[in-house]
Amino acid sequence: MIWAKEETLPRSEIEALQLAKLKDSVRYIYDRVKPYRDKMDAAGVKPEDIRTLDDLKRLPFTYKADFKDNYPDGLFAVDKKEIVRYHASSGTTGKPTVVGYTRNDLEMWLNNVARIACMGGASSEDVAQISFGYGTFTGALGLHGGLEKIGASVIPMSSGNTNKQIMFLQDMGVTLLVATPSYALHLGEEIRKRGIDPAKDLKIRIGLFGGEGMTEPMRDEMHKVWGEQFICTQNYGMSELCGPGVAGECTELCGMHVNEDWFIPEIIDPVTEEVLPPGERGELVVTCLGKEALPLMRYRTGDMTRLMYEPCRCGRTTARIENLSGRADDMLVIRGVNVFPTQIEEVLLKIEEIGPHYEILVERRNRLDVMTISVELIDDRLLDSYAKLSELEARIKSALKSQLGLATQIRLVAPNSLKRFEGKAKRVTDLRKDGL
Amino acid sequence: MIRQISVFVENQPGSMMRVTSVLTEAHVNIRAISTFDTPEFSIMRLVVDEPELAKESLTGKGFVTRISDVIGVELKDEKGNLNQMLKILADGQINVNYIYSFVIREEKAPVMIFHTDDFEKAAQVLRSADVKLIEEAEL
Repeated sequence: MIWAKEETLPRSEIEALQLAKLKDSVRYIYDRVKPYRDKMDAAGVKPEDIRTLDDLKRLPFTYKADFKDNYPDGLFAVDKKEIVRYHASSGTTGKPTVVGYTRNDLEMWLNNVARIACMGGASSEDVAQISFGYGTFTGALGLHGGLEKIGASVIPMSSGNTNKQIMFLQDMGVTLLVATPSYALHLGEEIRKRGIDPAKDLKIRIGLFGGEGMTEPMRDEMHKVWGEQFICTQNYGMSELCGPGVAGECTELCGMHVNEDWFIPEIIDPVTEEVLPPGERGELVVTCLGKEALPLMRYRTGDMTRLMYEPCRCGRTTARIENLSGRADDMLVIRGVNVFPTQIEEVLLKIEEIGPHYEILVERRNRLDVMTISVELIDDRLLDSYAKLSELEARIKSALKSQLGLATQIRLVAPNSLKRFEGKAKRVTDLRKDGL
Repeated sequence: MIRQISVFVENQPGSMMRVTSVLTEAHVNIRAISTFDTPEFSIMRLVVDEPELAKESLTGKGFVTRISDVIGVELKDEKGNLNQMLKILADGQINVNYIYSFVIREEKAPVMIFHTDDFEKAAQVLRSADVKLIEEAEL
């Protein structure tokens, strides 16, 4: 099922709609968001200079750092009393990236998620288990609201507690699972370990995955674990843009359809910042159309991909994003949570007993991401007892947990045993291959 | 009173040897040694003839090293003597964090080294029970 007629408009109509909304949005943000008005003034661009879609490239970019510089709500275009919901995701340092929604924004967002759920094959018949962590992250409440909108029955399970997850899957006749792809693989294997065959013993038929990219090898594994009947698609979004609902795969599995009446995608060279021709790979930049609380222009997503404009066999005419192929920056996605090495560094530098050097190792054990951080012990007072060393480990873990919202492993090593770098340090080793 | 040195070592091949080789080069004589492992790392504890020199040499080679006080007790080489000493400490409500013994002492009586957070009281309890405490000069 196709949720909205805007998904099937001829290209010329999509572009006409985009241009009309873009003109309004640029005027709106210029009038209401001072940091962006300053950027436009510095670039010598006025709202009336935007006459064609091609003029989009004259607008300055918005960066994740702009959220930090204007924390918590300096990029908002409406008064606090207009906001009906806040969400937050990782920032590059200690403060999170806070986003807000007016009532209209929520409506727009959840409608966009409803489109994506339909792209992945969901309908009002489905019983949907949301196994994303609830909280300030947009994933859980986004899919929750979008699936309710199409009339599915939603179980707000949240993440973790595998036994309970499996009990609900069985007892409630769950047909649709929302999770990160790695957690879905983990859960599927746990189900098989209990002698349950998802294809025969469960009603499950759809997986809507997000929070991290799903590679084709992961999709193949997903079918082995959950059965051939399992339709698994992924979707794309980020809290700055609204959360999930920016783009999603349809069941033809040939890229993620962008909700182009709300978002204009561009691909740029992340170094020269030049817009690249259609089909070329580069960094995805997204402009929001018609958002009230947080109208972003040309937001640098950091995600590397390419765009395809050919109409799809599913009937949708909207542009598609190819599977993401890495990042333009050093952001890591750990268990669906965005992590910047700078966040980790900030925590470690405040702990006196360890040195300033560190290494991050990411691997996947039992389908789940494990992040191990090696730090050099420099304070000899801790050698009085193991208790003091364990206390230090526990203190580092707890500080990282509250900063990242993630459990980490800490490895204490001898001073000078970690690599020293001249120039740009390469502190992250990611052993995950194809997400497996 | 005896001073021990504690060295942080990772739990991997050759890590203890790297400590002993630094001490060998510095002509430091090791009297007693103990380690206790965790999966990742270990604290190596040693009693040596020249603790200051040992710390200086090890620190110079990048090891995290600490000197701390421990109690050395001379025991007669007879059955039940260790038990007797531990009973004195138990009766005195002294908690022993760890204990280890000397490597070799030629013809002298064996020595046990132990660590407690209640240093003064432990020494007092042992002395009043006529247990001989060893000083560094006697090692």
